[in-house]
Amino acid sequence: MDRFIDLALSAVLLAGLYATMAYGLGIIYGVLRVVNLAHGGVIMMGAYMGWVLHRKLGVDPYLSIPIVVAASYLLGVAMYRVLVRHLPRGAAGGPASLLLLFGFWLVLRNGAYLLFTGDDQSITTAWSTSSVVVLGSQLSVSRLAVLAIGSVIPVGLHLFLHRTHLGRAIRAVAQNPDSCTLVGVDVERIYAITFGIGTALAGVAGLLSATLFAFNPGSGSSELLKSFVVVVLGGMGSVPGTGLAALILAVVEVFAILVLPSYLTSAVGFVMLVLVLVIRPGGLFGHRVLG
Amino acid sequence: MAVLPLVLELSIYTHNLMTLTFLSVAGALAWNWMGGFLGQVSFGHAATFGVGGFVAARIVLWAPVPAPLAWLAGGLVAGVFALGAHPALRLRGPYFSIATIGLGEATRLLFTYWEDFTGGSSGLSLPIETALKHRLYWWGLGLVVVVTAATWLIRRSGLGLQLLAIKADVDAAADLGVSATFYQDLMIALSGAVVGVTGGMWASYFSFIEPNDMFGFDRSIGFVLMAVIGGVGTVLGPLLGAVVFVLLRQYLLASYPQLYLGVYGLLLIFIILFEPLGLTGLLRRLWRRLSALRGKA
Repeated sequence: MDRFIDLALSAVLLAGLYATMAYGLGIIYGVLRVVNLAHGGVIMMGAYMGWVLHRKLGVDPYLSIPIVVAASYLLGVAMYRVLVRHLPRGAAGGPASLLLLFGFWLVLRNGAYLLFTGDDQSITTAWSTSSVVVLGSQLSVSRLAVLAIGSVIPVGLHLFLHRTHLGRAIRAVAQNPDSCTLVGVDVERIYAITFGIGTALAGVAGLLSATLFAFNPGSGSSELLKSFVVVVLGGMGSVPGTGLAALILAVVEVFAILVLPSYLTSAVGFVMLVLVLVIRPGGLFGHRVLG
Repeated sequence: MAVLPLVLELSIYTHNLMTLTFLSVAGALAWNWMGGFLGQVSFGHAATFGVGGFVAARIVLWAPVPAPLAWLAGGLVAGVFALGAHPALRLRGPYFSIATIGLGEATRLLFTYWEDFTGGSSGLSLPIETALKHRLYWWGLGLVVVVTAATWLIRRSGLGLQLLAIKADVDAAADLGVSATFYQDLMIALSGAVVGVTGGMWASYFSFIEPNDMFGFDRSIGFVLMAVIGGVGTVLGPLLGAVVFVLLRQYLLASYPQLYLGVYGLLLIFIILFEPLGLTGLLRRLWRRLSALRGKA
């Protein structure tokens, strides 16, 4: 029973991270209908940003969150303005957007290799090894921090999208870009901002992930896949849905450790992805994914 | 040019390079059947490459079967394996592609840890046969000819039209009686089989294969790059693209190994932004420009 609580708590903590990652991918898809295949790359960059700030400037990773958010946001806006903007909208842009963003991911990877070498890194601070006792289990402080931050973000996102003018504009563009132009919303600007928000979320997720796991320039594919699982399972445009989906993925992964040998646990994400896409493409809250 | 060895003595290096190019061309063409003709961009084709390679290698290690038969067997198994992606086939565009990333990686993990079959990280070694390596040049060339002919035929035939219809609009195609499921299954099996054959030939050529390399994401990316650089959806495209890819790879690995990924990334970006049909697109533009000039004169 103790073990069960341990695992359950682990899952909850991980879910916050997965939710943040998924929002980054989901918001871009929801509004621009573009799958950001560079998502994994941005997560990786977020991890390295935090690592550099920590290593070179001694900034505590949790304090560097605003910096990483801002930098990742600007990266996203730049990505949109320079690259994504030129893609044809809608289904026609499909393979082209994938390949374009994938190419950008390769560039990011190479950049990271050049700057940081291919070695595994992680951000270790005094927090990394300390733990706190909750409900009779030892919980690592860094995981708790990730959960806390990972829970604040969706709430913040939801409030942003529903209570602010900009948020409403974003939601409107997601529903019907053409009508938005008619009522005076600068759709291009919204697209750029949304892309930036998506990458900002990815960057933060990368930073948080770096406090928990090791990473290297090649990281990102499993994060991309997991984000995708959560986005599809949660249904697009549904913040609570995504949160629930993140929890489900985390739970499945954590409990899979009980039955599977350790090296196969990363395969869990991949398998879930295929299962989700095949069995319940509409997600938990329903949305057309098949075209 | 490819038949030069009949008349000239080529250096080992060039011989190697050309054999490699042939295998890459065949693989790229086959990938393109899915990615270009059907419009289902697969980031997981290394799975079929690896399956073909290891099956062929295992057969050769198990009994004195002539290599070409082993390759065929590898190809067949790979083709059937590819059908395992059937459930993902009904996904459109980006969803299919991401699913293939997942499938490719899952395959890699499974086979890497299936040590009895693949030798795990230590890989499989095959007896080195220089005579076979030499003959592989011709086998490779033969494969290229067959696959190119098949590609050309597909493009020109009714099958090609049906594939294009599915690519353009699955529902409309279904209304016209073109069953997407059947053709998708068919093409992914064929595509997987051909790539599997190249995997087997690769195994015979290098006499050593290792799952992380054979099934690796980088290898899957290679197929995508070759077809896109050359011109996705065309017949000439994967041919040009594979040649450029192999040559560029040799050059980069020798001179600038640290820029390898970045160069490809930038290439992809430039192609998508400026000439979606890659080299073939550029050539077509050039051709048109030249024809226009000649027309005026």
